[in-house]
Amino acid sequence: MAELTSFSFSAGDSLLHRLDARFKIIFIIFLTLVSLNVYFRGLGFLTFILLGAVFYARLPFDSGLKELRYFLILLFLIFLARVLSTHGVPIIDLKYFSVSMEGIYSGILVCWRLALIVILGFAFISTTPPSAIKAAVQWFLKPVPFIPEKKVAIMMGLILRFVPVILDQARETAEAQKARAVENRKNPVYRLTKFGFPLINRTFQRADDLVVAMEARAFTENRRDPELIAHKQDWMALIAVGCLCVSVLLLSS
Amino acid sequence: MNIIEIENLSHRFADGTFGVKDIDLKIRDGALAVIAGPNGSGKTTLLRHLNGLLLPTTGTVRLGGIGVKQDLLRARQFVGMMFQDADSQIVGETVYEDVAFGPENLRLDRGQIQSRVQKALQAVGMSDLASQRPHLLSGGEKRRLAIAGILAMEPRVIVFDEPFSSLDYPGTKQILKHILSLHQLGHTILVTTHDLEKIIAHADRLILMHDGKIVRDGIPADIMTDVETFGVRRPCAFRLGLEADSWLN
Repeated sequence: MAELTSFSFSAGDSLLHRLDARFKIIFIIFLTLVSLNVYFRGLGFLTFILLGAVFYARLPFDSGLKELRYFLILLFLIFLARVLSTHGVPIIDLKYFSVSMEGIYSGILVCWRLALIVILGFAFISTTPPSAIKAAVQWFLKPVPFIPEKKVAIMMGLILRFVPVILDQARETAEAQKARAVENRKNPVYRLTKFGFPLINRTFQRADDLVVAMEARAFTENRRDPELIAHKQDWMALIAVGCLCVSVLLLSS
Repeated sequence: MNIIEIENLSHRFADGTFGVKDIDLKIRDGALAVIAGPNGSGKTTLLRHLNGLLLPTTGTVRLGGIGVKQDLLRARQFVGMMFQDADSQIVGETVYEDVAFGPENLRLDRGQIQSRVQKALQAVGMSDLASQRPHLLSGGEKRRLAIAGILAMEPRVIVFDEPFSSLDYPGTKQILKHILSLHQLGHTILVTTHDLEKIIAHADRLILMHDGKIVRDGIPADIMTDVETFGVRRPCAFRLGLEADSWLN
C-alpha cells in the first residue's frame, strides 16, 4: 500500500480544519502577498502566528519537515545564489567571488519568504480534505469564461486519487526490477528506460480502465455540484486574517 | 420474466477479431448465473454490452424490454458492474465520495445522495470507514467499496467480473456473502469466473463460453462433465462425485 506523505489531509477537529476551503484559499493569497511585501520584523511576526496555528491544529510538522528536505536543499541553493550575486560592501573577498552583507540579508529574506509560503501550503493541505479543495476551485472558476470548471474539478480529484496508485505501481515496478538485479546495470539511461516505459504503459492502462469504470457509473459533466456553505466562523476568520495582514504591514512600514 | 434478452449479438473489434459472436441469451429476473470460460473467451466483452460500455456490431441487448442503445443512462442505472480490478474502479478521494460518485452523476439532490451512500456503506459493513482514503483499504475492502458504489445506483442487475481474483480466503468468503445477500434481496446476479469452485454451489445456471461463443448453457450439475473440454477446471466436489459445497460452510 502507498504510504501517506505528511503533505496530505490529516483529519482533525481544529478551527483550521473546520474553516471553509474557499476562505482558506483567500487567506493563503492574502498572507502570501503580505509576506512578499514585508521584511524581517513582519516575517518574524507572521512565522510566529503561523507556527502557532500549525501546532494548535496538531499537524505533523516534524514529518512535514522531513518531507521538505529536498526543498530545504533548494532553499540553500537559492540562498547561495543570492549571496554570491548581490553586490554590496564585501565581508569576504576572494579571487572569483565576494560575499557581502547585503547578499546575506537578501538571501535570508528570500528564503524566509519562500519557507513561509510553503508552511502556508502545508497548513492548507493538511487541514483541508481534497474534496473541499476541489469544490472551492470549482467555485472560484465558475465566473471565469471559457474554463470548464466542472471538468477541472473532476481532473483535480482524479489526480489526487491516482497519485498514490501510480506511486504504488512505480514501487512495484522498481522492486520487480531489483529482484532481477537491475542494480547491476550501471547505465542510468538504460535503467530509466526499463523503468519508465512499463510504468507509463501501466498508467495509461489504468487510465483506460478508469474511463470505462466512470462510464459504467453514468459519468456526466453535468453532475450534482458540491455543497459549500460559509459560516459565521469563516467570516470572523476573514476579519481576523485581514487585521493580521494590516498589522503586519504596519509593523514593517 | 426475462430481465436480460440478448439476440444474435456479435462484437467485432477494430482489428477485425470477434470478441463475441452470435450470442443468444435470456436471463430471468432474480437468477444467479455463472458465466465461465478461459481467459479471452469473451466473458468480459459480453458483460460490457449489458450496460452499453460496448455496443453490438450486430444484434440487440434488451434490459427489461428496452434496448440498451435506446437509453444508455437507464442501462447504466439498471446494470451495476463490478470490474476485475477494483483499484481502477474507485474514483473518489474518500470512501464516502466514491460511493456518492454515481448518485451525483444522476443529479439526485443532496439528501437523497446522502441516504443512498449511507445505505450502501451499511450494506457492505463500511460505515465506519466513510472518511478513509481508498488506497489505504485492503483488497477485500476495496471490492466491498466497489460493491457499495454499485448499490448506490440502485441497479436491478449486478454483474461481477472475476470477483474473487487475488483475494485471500476470508476476503473471498466476505465477497461471496455479499453476492448471496444481494441475490436474496432480489437482485439478478451474473458472475464471470474461470474458477468455478468458489461460487458454483450457489448458482442456478452455468453458461460456458469459448472463443466468443456460448458453448454450453444449463443447470450446473448437468453440464459439469463438459467444462474441462472448454478450459475450465471442474470443481473438486464434482471430481469426487459429490455435490458442490459452499465456501461459506
